[in-house]
Amino acid sequence: MLRISGLTMRYPDGKIALANFDLSVEAGELVVVLGGNGSGKTTLLRCISRMLSPTTGEIWLNDTNLAALSGDRLRQARLPLAMIWQHASLVRRRSVLSNVASGALGRYGGLWTALGGLPAVERRAAYDHLSAVGLVALAGQRAGTLSGGQAQRVAIARALAQRPQVLLADEPVASLDPEAADDIMRLVRHLATHEHLAVVCVLHQVELAYAYADRVVGIRDGRIAFDRPCSELPRDAVRQLYLSEAA
Amino acid sequence: MNIDAAGPQLAERSWAEALSLALRLVLALALVAIVVQAAIVVHARPQDLITGAYGMADIIRRAMPPDFAKIDMVWWPALETIDLAIFGTVGGVVMALPLAILAAVNVTPSRYLYYAARSVIGFARAVPDLVWALLFVTAVGLGPFPGALALSVHSIGMLGRLFAETIEHMDMAPVDALTLTGARRVQVFTHGIIPSILPSLLGIALYRFDENIRSSLVLGFVGAGGIGFELLSAMSLFQYQLVSLLLIVTFVMVIAAERLSARLRSRLGRGKHHGF
Repeated sequence: MLRISGLTMRYPDGKIALANFDLSVEAGELVVVLGGNGSGKTTLLRCISRMLSPTTGEIWLNDTNLAALSGDRLRQARLPLAMIWQHASLVRRRSVLSNVASGALGRYGGLWTALGGLPAVERRAAYDHLSAVGLVALAGQRAGTLSGGQAQRVAIARALAQRPQVLLADEPVASLDPEAADDIMRLVRHLATHEHLAVVCVLHQVELAYAYADRVVGIRDGRIAFDRPCSELPRDAVRQLYLSEAA
Repeated sequence: MNIDAAGPQLAERSWAEALSLALRLVLALALVAIVVQAAIVVHARPQDLITGAYGMADIIRRAMPPDFAKIDMVWWPALETIDLAIFGTVGGVVMALPLAILAAVNVTPSRYLYYAARSVIGFARAVPDLVWALLFVTAVGLGPFPGALALSVHSIGMLGRLFAETIEHMDMAPVDALTLTGARRVQVFTHGIIPSILPSLLGIALYRFDENIRSSLVLGFVGAGGIGFELLSAMSLFQYQLVSLLLIVTFVMVIAAERLSARLRSRLGRGKHHGF
């Protein structure tokens, strides 16, 4: 499904954020990425989504190497790849329903959507996506009035409207209280298991990684420190990951 | 601290204070000099105000009472003035919005287009609306249309700059999120940028409308129609009672536009509870 090979990201100032990084994620698998601040976790997701252009390496999404594409070909090839962020990044003045339906815009190129309209079929589908995240009652409400947890659920519904095969989540629970964080991770787990999404989720909460991940990848200084199934991951290895940062 | 040790310090302090005082005196004198040179350049003669007071009083006397019997003659030019401002503002918004996108550093597609758009906006602002009106009167003849065109083009200057600044200060997170869903550039603009900044854009446009009402009065003086044109004609024919009526109507229009614009902007600022 998603295969990354030899991914290296060197910033113009010479700093290497990722070095020869390999990772593969299959459909239905939830991979959590752990690591200290500045270890390269977010850079990894930004490279996979091609918000950043990696210096070298390949990013295979099914049979397409995203790293080799640009412009409209990249936009089209990236459609099966959705992303959620630490903050929900919704258009605050639009309704919850419109925000969700806007996740489908990439599949439409007509004048109606260019003028700000949304296809009726996608508005109907948005109700289903909102129902999947338990927020259908808030469909008509303005997105700016939602709580952090609700907004993150709407962001997930927007990602679902994209009909993704891969979901990238960059610290999706970092600004939520423990209960809301648990809800969001349960939902992400559900999407991986029942919607067969390949999920790469950057987290800081080790306990959530143990509770929900299939595999955990540890990053230190842009390199893979470990890549193990959750059940085989000793807590000491995780502790070492953060100890090196403290040192 | 003993007195011997404090002596040099006190002396130093008094020198510093004297220097500061001298500096302030020089600055004050420079300011006075600037004002005096301005008065000389503009040939300011306060005595003329006193000698001219009789003439002004005579005009005011002849302008009273306002000729309300001619109110029927005023409606159409008044409507023309309002419509000049409406057309000028809407035309300005339509032209300024695409330019603002090109002139906003965070969304412009190219550096060259950024500088080109900034130059057009700057030029539209630098040329006074009166000069634009004269140019358009030459091009399309007398009447309200050249006035409306002049207001549209001149409005680009202010609207384009403020729209661009609004776009530059907006939260880009929803824009990035929409871009990553695969939305095209134009869709990101209509679904992400416009809804986010719409209240600010409308507020700026309403403020411009208020300004355009006042500008459209002056444009009449160069043959661009509206109540300004009637004012000029009435003054040329020494119909001072009609002039006072026109001034009253002008005053009411300007105040009404100002109040309406302020009220609508205040409502936009408060926002609503439901999305669209």
